[in-house]
Amino acid sequence: MARPSKPTMSRALQRRENISGYLFMLPSLFFFIGFVVFPMIICIITSLTDANMHDPGMFGNFIGFSNFARLVKDVDFLEALKNTFIIVIVSVPTVCAFSLWVSSAIYKLSGPVLSAFRCIFYLPVVTGSVAVTVVWKWMYDNYTGIFNHVLKGAGLIEQNINWLGDSKYALWCIILILFTTSVGQPIVLYVSALGNVDQTLIEAAEVDGANSFQIFWQVKWAQMMPTTLYILVITTINSFQCFALIQLLTKGGAGTNTVMYDIYWTAFKLTEQAGHFGYANAMGVVLAIFIGLLSALQFKLAKEK
Amino acid sequence: MKKLLAILLAMTMVMALVACGGNNDNANPSPQDPPETEDQTPEAPAEPAASGELTLWTYPIGDWGKEEKVKAITDAFTADTGISVKVEYLAYADGDDKVNSAITANAAPDLIMEGPERLVTNWGDKGYLVDLSDMFDDTDKSEINAAAMTACTHPNGEVYEYPLVVTAHCMAINLNAFKEAGADQYLDLENHTWTTENFIKAVDALYAHYNAPVGAVYCKGQGGDQGTRALVNNLYGGTFATASHDKYTWDDPKNIQALEQLKGMPGITFDASLEGGDEIKVFYQGILKMAFCWNIAQQLNPNQADTGAGLTANGEEIVFMGFPSENGTPALQGGIWGFGIFNNGDSAKVENAKTFIKWMCDSEHTAEAVKTANYFAARSAAEGTDLTGIWTDNEIMNEYQVLMPYLGDYYQVTKGWAGARTEWWTMLQKVGEGADIAETVATYAGNANAG
Amino acid sequence: MKIENSRSRAYRIASIIILVVLAFLFTFPLYWIVTGGFKNGADINATKPIWIPTEWVMNNYDKLMKQRSVPLWEVYLPFGSFFNGGKKVLLTAGPEAPAAIRWLINAVLMCVAAMLLTCLTAAMAGYALAKKRFNGRALLFSLIVCAMALPKQVILIPLLKEMSALHLYDSLWAVIFPTVGWPFGVFLMKQFSESIPGEILEATRIDGASELKTFSTVVIPMIKPGIGALAIFTFINCWNDYFMQLVMLTSGSNFTIPLGIATLQAETSIDNGLLMAGATLAAAPIIVVFLIFQKYFTQGITMGAVKG
Repeated sequence: MARPSKPTMSRALQRRENISGYLFMLPSLFFFIGFVVFPMIICIITSLTDANMHDPGMFGNFIGFSNFARLVKDVDFLEALKNTFIIVIVSVPTVCAFSLWVSSAIYKLSGPVLSAFRCIFYLPVVTGSVAVTVVWKWMYDNYTGIFNHVLKGAGLIEQNINWLGDSKYALWCIILILFTTSVGQPIVLYVSALGNVDQTLIEAAEVDGANSFQIFWQVKWAQMMPTTLYILVITTINSFQCFALIQLLTKGGAGTNTVMYDIYWTAFKLTEQAGHFGYANAMGVVLAIFIGLLSALQFKLAKEK
Repeated sequence: MKKLLAILLAMTMVMALVACGGNNDNANPSPQDPPETEDQTPEAPAEPAASGELTLWTYPIGDWGKEEKVKAITDAFTADTGISVKVEYLAYADGDDKVNSAITANAAPDLIMEGPERLVTNWGDKGYLVDLSDMFDDTDKSEINAAAMTACTHPNGEVYEYPLVVTAHCMAINLNAFKEAGADQYLDLENHTWTTENFIKAVDALYAHYNAPVGAVYCKGQGGDQGTRALVNNLYGGTFATASHDKYTWDDPKNIQALEQLKGMPGITFDASLEGGDEIKVFYQGILKMAFCWNIAQQLNPNQADTGAGLTANGEEIVFMGFPSENGTPALQGGIWGFGIFNNGDSAKVENAKTFIKWMCDSEHTAEAVKTANYFAARSAAEGTDLTGIWTDNEIMNEYQVLMPYLGDYYQVTKGWAGARTEWWTMLQKVGEGADIAETVATYAGNANAG
Repeated sequence: MKIENSRSRAYRIASIIILVVLAFLFTFPLYWIVTGGFKNGADINATKPIWIPTEWVMNNYDKLMKQRSVPLWEVYLPFGSFFNGGKKVLLTAGPEAPAAIRWLINAVLMCVAAMLLTCLTAAMAGYALAKKRFNGRALLFSLIVCAMALPKQVILIPLLKEMSALHLYDSLWAVIFPTVGWPFGVFLMKQFSESIPGEILEATRIDGASELKTFSTVVIPMIKPGIGALAIFTFINCWNDYFMQLVMLTSGSNFTIPLGIATLQAETSIDNGLLMAGATLAAAPIIVVFLIFQKYFTQGITMGAVKG
């Protein structure tokens, strides 16, 4: 693509490119293959076995796809899968929309104000997931949390709401925390993307009599497409990193189980059902397939653009 | 900036080299390396003598979860025997996962301190622990509490836990609040017991006075679930498992009646955001007027606002109580804690670990080890030292003795125990959300029995 | 036209108000953490929130420092356990110190190591993917894209066994290596390297510069903002990777501060003051890192993304 003038390279040149290319890739590949690809392959293989922690060997007996057949009927897993998707499907678009709105509202502000806002929205990200979780746990507290106190004080609720203990609210509470820790980067990105929009196009549109709304969607939005796609990718990644929230807030109870947590649970919780590595790995494989598809979809969209 | 970058890069390269170098060494050890490491070993300060080092993982059992107390006793042990002990402190919230992942990574500790429900029914049953039966002679067997000994013994005859301490789990009430609401008339403060009828009256009186839930059936996870189990079982005399410990009996109509009673009381809330520890916090804050997750160590513990032991954060008096039952004689849940040894394939370490257990559980030092736990000794005497009187100078401990006769069946060794606990709190969550009680209990009891 | 203007002014004012409220809400958790750490027992346990501490005390920090004590540092011979029968070879250990300080040091070391390794490997790989036409490039790139969103829980068990086999379990390396292996950095660096004009590379080559020289003198300076962004990004990510820390680190002397705080929560969920003091300690380093490198971050991250 970059060098259309040379569609075919000479064999010697190709070999040189191969050698230097792979040499440059080598350090990265060492870690990528060693600590991501290789474990993933093991994961796929064990998902077809009845491996468990009590067997000395790495792999148990080959049992074909029965782990997967069991998964389809596992109510807990299906609920976890559903919750995982709710988290992704809700948080990704809201994060994008919210950060787009905030950026469009602040990008014209003067320098120091703009950077103050940017920093503030970035704060939850840099506070660190554990610190954030610990403080939110306290704020959500059923008895002494400030949420109930403020809402009750404002007369919005009569009885304390058990935010993290009620399956009507718990998942949404977790999504809210995830949301605050996800919008920081998209806002930074959108602010500069808006600043970089080609002014001549905007002027041309204004001459044509377009109102600010039309300008926004037809000119600015279109130009920010690459940024948006990038944001979609990182927000999706972020949404799958909600393990700390669930482990520290609800332990997967009150309707907040996710596949990520279910894997951990199945592998290590002290139950007779636990230690079923083959089964836990099968969950991992299902999740990986979904994520792979999602990523592929996002990048296909990016290519078409 | 450039310089900084260069330094960073150089550091990275060095680190990468170290990492890769290590890997190569593994594949084909180069001849110079082994002697080099042998030179290093004797210099290592962590290994003072050939007698070696033990790792002990302990759950927070009384003050066995507090470093300053544990360090005092393990240091004394090290001074005595030359065996050093490295202690890691587990939490009930994620301790099990830690042990399990360590087992998976072949990095289990040498010693572990917990009760039979984990040591015997789980890790022992799965063959990770060393049989300790050769540590008990006839004198030991006569000295050790018979129920504790039975609980520590696997059905296959092997003993996976050397018991150190026992206690009865109970509940606690905020006496000031009870008095204020006029509910103290329902308490038998002499014997620390009450009847179901009085319990219901008391809760209603408290609710009428405070207009908010005064007790919480916590069910976020398994932490402190002995409290909710005992509450439900005692209320109408239900059982948790059969006497022969082969089946769970939650679907006993008496348990269902109890759950229906609790669910119907406005003063009692089913709270899926709390575990035992959280409940205690809210109780300390004076919001809940009773705590179901309580025992003597808790009674002796000062609260986090440092207003003193046996008091809430604003200084109100806490009184421990047995669980309410129809005739006022509860069946309390026992706690039996002691040590188990993981079989890490190193017989020298196993011997050292046995020395440790002997030193802690059956020697003149046992009194100290027991006192560190803030519970009662699991045996009457150890190597000639009488252990029955170690708490005579402690008034609260003495008073707590009144509950010990109510110690009920130690059913935590029923098959499928760990799985059943998960089913139990999940069931409470469902009941709390308003699911049909009889149906829910039947489903989850079925799961527990299947598991 | 007039109506339009007044409407848009109203909209602007409304949005500024909303923004200020939001800004307040976004800062509040941090405020609550910091003040919580300095509140006394009565304030912490009050049934109504105490918005401003009635007195500022250091109690909680004192308590935090007394929680555990571990050697301030321990240096092990890398991979020493391979020749020492599975036992690590300790080279030097520091004096006993409050565990929280050790946890802080551990966390910073871990994140810095992960950051440096990631930046170096990703910059090289990103450059190769963008500018070298080697065979299998497209395949590798797709693999990287697909693996980018993969949560580590998926490979939990194999990774644990692998770390155990490499004798890395319960060491910071067990957290560092998978972080470095995570291919997002490569993807980011590829985006940056795309913008390097091919002519410049060509010219350097004609001048007879070696590949490494080209990389260090031409490529690195051009993607510097990107490296800065990736550095902060990796640092924050590694710091926030509670899961890997939870699974891989077991001894109290190897904990990181986030893991330590989470463990304290599990043990003493009853003491919010202590937890907030810990959380302050856990939040401070990354906030400082962020504020120092903020400029690079905002510049760097946007350049890469806007390029698409």
